Amino acid sequence: MTTRSIVPNVLAITACLALGVGSMTPVAGASEAAPVRPRIDTRYAADGVTEAPDFRQHVLPLIGQLGCNGRACHGSFQGQGGFRLSLFGYDFKADHDNLLAGDEPRTNIEKPVDSLILLKPLEEVPHEGGQRLEKGTWQYRVLLGWIEAGAKDPGDAAARFVRLELEPRELVARAKGDTWQLRAVAVWSDGMREDVTPLCRFQSNDDQVATIDAAGLVTAAGPGDTHVVAFYDNGVVPVPVVFPVSDRVGPAYPDVPTPTRIDELVVDKLRKLGEVPSEPCTDTEFLRRVSLDITGTLPTAAEATAFTADTNPDKRARKIDELLERPGYAAWWATKFCDWTGNNSRFNQNKGPDRQNVVSQLWYEWMKARIEENLPYDQLVERIVLAKSRLDGESFEDYCSRMSAFLRKDDKASFAESPTLPYFWSRSNFRTNEERALGFAYSFLGVRIQCAQCHKHPFDQWTKDDFDRFENFFARVKFGPGPDTKKPTEAMLTALDVSKSLKGNKLEQELAKLAGEGKVVPFSETYVTPPPKPVDAKAIARLEKQKGQEKEKQRSKLLAGRTATVLGGEESRIDELEDPREVLMDWMRDDGNPYFARAIVNRVWASYFNVGIVEPPDDLSLANPPSNEPLLDHLATGFRAHGFDLKWLHREIVSSRTYQTSWRPNETNRLDERNFARAVGRRIPAEVVYDAIKIATASDAEAAKLQSSLKGRAIADPIVTPRGNAYALTVFGRSIRESNCDCDRSMEPGLLQSVFLQNDFEALSLIDRQGGWLDGAVPQAKAKAAERDASVAEVRNLQAKIAAMEEELAAAREEGEKSEVKKIEQRLASLRKRLAAAGDEVPGKPRRPAATPEQDAARFDELVKEAYLRTLTRPPTPEEAGRAASYLAEVRDLRTATRDLLWALLNTKEFVVNH
Amino acid sequence: MAIHTTCDGVRRRDFLRVGALGTSSVTLANWLRWTEAAEPRGGTARAKSKAAIFVNLAGGPSHLDTFDPKPEAPDDYRGEFATIPTSVPGIHVSEHLPKLAACMDRFAILRGITHSLAAHELGSQYVNTGNRPIPSLEFPSYGAVVSKELGGPEELPLNVAIPRSAQGAGYLGVRYSALSTGSTPQAGQPYAVRGISLGSGLTVTDVRRRQRLLEDLDRTFHDLEKDSQLMDGLDRFSEQAHTIITSPRAREAFNTALESPTFTEPFGESTFGQSCLLAVRLVESGVPFVSIQSGGWDTHNDNWTNLKTKLLPPFDTGLAALLVGLEQKGLLDSTTVYVTGEFGRTPKINKERNGRDHYARAMFMLMAGGGVRGGQVIGETDEKGQAPVGPARSPDDVAASFYRTLGIDPKKEYQTSTGRPVMIVRDGTVIPELFG
Repeated sequence: MTTRSIVPNVLAITACLALGVGSMTPVAGASEAAPVRPRIDTRYAADGVTEAPDFRQHVLPLIGQLGCNGRACHGSFQGQGGFRLSLFGYDFKADHDNLLAGDEPRTNIEKPVDSLILLKPLEEVPHEGGQRLEKGTWQYRVLLGWIEAGAKDPGDAAARFVRLELEPRELVARAKGDTWQLRAVAVWSDGMREDVTPLCRFQSNDDQVATIDAAGLVTAAGPGDTHVVAFYDNGVVPVPVVFPVSDRVGPAYPDVPTPTRIDELVVDKLRKLGEVPSEPCTDTEFLRRVSLDITGTLPTAAEATAFTADTNPDKRARKIDELLERPGYAAWWATKFCDWTGNNSRFNQNKGPDRQNVVSQLWYEWMKARIEENLPYDQLVERIVLAKSRLDGESFEDYCSRMSAFLRKDDKASFAESPTLPYFWSRSNFRTNEERALGFAYSFLGVRIQCAQCHKHPFDQWTKDDFDRFENFFARVKFGPGPDTKKPTEAMLTALDVSKSLKGNKLEQELAKLAGEGKVVPFSETYVTPPPKPVDAKAIARLEKQKGQEKEKQRSKLLAGRTATVLGGEESRIDELEDPREVLMDWMRDDGNPYFARAIVNRVWASYFNVGIVEPPDDLSLANPPSNEPLLDHLATGFRAHGFDLKWLHREIVSSRTYQTSWRPNETNRLDERNFARAVGRRIPAEVVYDAIKIATASDAEAAKLQSSLKGRAIADPIVTPRGNAYALTVFGRSIRESNCDCDRSMEPGLLQSVFLQNDFEALSLIDRQGGWLDGAVPQAKAKAAERDASVAEVRNLQAKIAAMEEELAAAREEGEKSEVKKIEQRLASLRKRLAAAGDEVPGKPRRPAATPEQDAARFDELVKEAYLRTLTRPPTPEEAGRAASYLAEVRDLRTATRDLLWALLNTKEFVVNH
Repeated sequence: MAIHTTCDGVRRRDFLRVGALGTSSVTLANWLRWTEAAEPRGGTARAKSKAAIFVNLAGGPSHLDTFDPKPEAPDDYRGEFATIPTSVPGIHVSEHLPKLAACMDRFAILRGITHSLAAHELGSQYVNTGNRPIPSLEFPSYGAVVSKELGGPEELPLNVAIPRSAQGAGYLGVRYSALSTGSTPQAGQPYAVRGISLGSGLTVTDVRRRQRLLEDLDRTFHDLEKDSQLMDGLDRFSEQAHTIITSPRAREAFNTALESPTFTEPFGESTFGQSCLLAVRLVESGVPFVSIQSGGWDTHNDNWTNLKTKLLPPFDTGLAALLVGLEQKGLLDSTTVYVTGEFGRTPKINKERNGRDHYARAMFMLMAGGGVRGGQVIGETDEKGQAPVGPARSPDDVAASFYRTLGIDPKKEYQTSTGRPVMIVRDGTVIPELFG
């Protein structure tokens, strides 16, 4: 439960400050040994302060609070007005230097009040950034006091920042307008504790739930839940805010079944919010949802019928097991793993015979085989992370021979059997240490450290220094012609009689061709350079004699490039290791690792629920906390405890009642899309939509085949550059696998998607295709034959059609649509011809009677049921069946009615949304 | 709901993320209205254009053998083409561009545009977005930005690629993707374009009838529509798609056969010429962005034979007809035409293959319409066409200038889906001479 602050509103705070009253009432249980130094705004509330402010603890945070180091101001990489500060202020040394240096130093030690750092923000001299500071305020006194004391820098010996503590720990609102004052205490390595509330930067993660002002006053804005976040130095601390949506909280909360641990944890959160989960979904909803999610495949009509008829109470669990064994599971999840690891033909440029699409194909096959055999996730990642092209002890010739076999046309060796996947390392957009640092963090840690490449991460702890220390792990991993392979390569080329004039592309093509013919050709490779020479023992001995700062300086010089640091962890000596990546792998696998397991369980969860527990799923950062920490922790811990078993994870999630909840909202959860109180509809991913159209329009036999074999399936297509069926996949937002972001896959709706479904020849021809369901249900040829055998009923039918067509013609003429008029006229002419033929029947000739309208209606009734099952995985409601029947009466043609019905169903939201 | 990582603490709220509790009032429609209201077109006072046609000469056309000839260069650079004067005294171009030479006053030549990405993919991304590619972000191309900024009639697609293009929507998302026609019109034949033309035998009446059926059956989520961004978005796009499909305006926009023979004849019968004709029609109908892809310019082998027989004649005919055609329709002032490949080609001839190879240090681009002063050459290269002389201009600068013609502020900031603030053109400066 929360502790509600006694401070009612902003005025009260101002009043407190004006009176010089100290900090807010401390929260019980948070007392510590060291007394907390009071707030800086009270210490500097009046002139005559003797304390000298500290650059790191006070001055730079204040400069940040005034907005000086923002991107549009002096934080810009070009600086502003000849003065530059580090963006988001973490480069204390550079910022200090810049404040004192230059032609026009911002500080004036001789005459502190004339310092530009004061005059500019006071706007006493022109300042493009306008007035940011007022005289007679604590801010002014702090800046001035620092300059008066000599504008000292923090020095290397200064205390280190340890952590930031926030109170209260959780805010639970009762009504709109409730307020709380946050209190932030910074803890330093020398034991000093200071209330730094006035020096923090604050933000609300959703200002429709709670707002927060610059002083840290939180105001409840509306029902929901979010976090407010405080930033100070390297500390980023989120505080949850919960504003119940109903009065059904605590004891008033209804009894909700929670058969699994996931359900308990989800309901724990919902109970606080006053949200009740929706009812369980229906069997057919479950079947459709779970099939699309686990196997990327729409269930067939036959499957839906069988599942509905199955009376076994265990049938959902059994279906889950069955789906996890289907080829679609490995195919679809391999595609997702290829998204996350960046398998893109464009970047698979290996300067060898294994190029582009070939590499993408091999990469995909390898990934699919691992998913299929359910290799534990840590091992799967290890085989990527520690991959080298050559196996242990393998000679260059043996390596080339092994690789060539993968490209052979006849009797091709299976790359899927290859123990490792080195292609992750040879991507052309993954060659520099920087690219690798950010790509690696994205793929396996779900962390975005891009920002820290250039400046302090604005929403996480990462500094540029962290980034630089992390990227050192990758410096010795190389890709290209292997060391000492020049001569054997030349020998190989000579033996193959390859023209010396062939270079670049042409050479690669020729080598690919030769490999295809079964020859052994040379390959480039991913390898790790050997460790550097050991550090000079004498130098170390000398180092040991040094002390303090000097020792640090010499140490870092001596060990330059020899150490690397995992994110948020310890520095390691990598110069004694054969492969520095081993440190990374050990760190990721460690029980205490905060990212590795959480990143994958969150991504898998997000695939099932449309949103992650952390959302976006690839942004695990301090300022973006999980919506349900115990739930994320449960999944990550369980995943590790079960040996990183991916199928365990899938089963654990989809077996929960939470996953099997209906999309139908109730009044308490209608507006919530992040706490899993109901199923949230999500547009089906590009590949899955494309396949679903194919399956829905296929004959029963073909649909079963598409489900069991992957031939022609978009979910098993490893090439993401445009080709073949790529137009649909592009407009539906298949991952472009380019920018180290889960957002490379788009789940948005779009105009071109609707145009595609409604009128694209590709979609329409799938409906009409020969051998498709429509063709089998109401064959065109047969329909024509039946028309030729027109009976009296047919004559009437034709007459009615002509009448309707004449109306259409009149309408089209009115609209002045020439091409339309022409089309209708042609059709009318053909109908009239048929009518004439039907009237001229030669009696007595044996013929099969045409179906009567009654027979058609009965047949259509069946077809409507089938069409619903094959698209929406459910039978039609009586209203829907009635509307369909009236459509048949309107168009008077069984084939047209069936085709248009199938078209309409493919165009419903219910089809394209997984719900 | 998290507000996503921005590098500058800028709050980000695009509609797909506005999905948490208490946000029921934020529908897609609202969101679109907000963004429309919040984002007035920048710098409209200077804008002359309402539309743009982007011609991508994929493969990288030789600059020396087209618009930057060096008749005085040594044999191993010059190439075999002669030069001809143009309608503007002092400007000479390749002898195989007679029609464009005759309408030189309508367009400007930019010479000595320079960059360093001599690979197709990267170079192409560069010239299609105006931003040098970086690994952590996919920039939106011109078509995505222009269609987002300028908008257009409900019944028309806003970004059309003939027949397809390298113009991805990047971080702006699939909503701004181009409609790829997938094919080009054939002279004198009725033209069917994917998604827009009605399938064989279908009438508008058929389409409207089945649409009514769809509306009646698509009721399952009815109760959710007002609360769900996704449902609302799907409805909205579905309605717009239906409007496009059934409106005579869209169909007629693509139907080049409706133009008079005297108008169509100058475009020639080539694929490129017909693409140009279609582009003019689309712009006239109100489509704000059209791109034309013309391939085959990667002339490592037999550069001159390929240029003079296959590449330059249709290009010369088609582009000249496009410029004159726009002018005849009174559209040249309000339509920016921008022509570029991904790079130039090596001034030094590759004798082995009688061709020229990739060369990014110097290339040409063309621009016309939208307030661009035609009949001028901006920039120059040295005597062998190897490097720019004078101020070096990059694709970024041309991109900034291009956006300026449309009244789009190239320095306007978007937020990526990860919340990072990025300017439309990160590093470009408008080239003032273009408008002088």
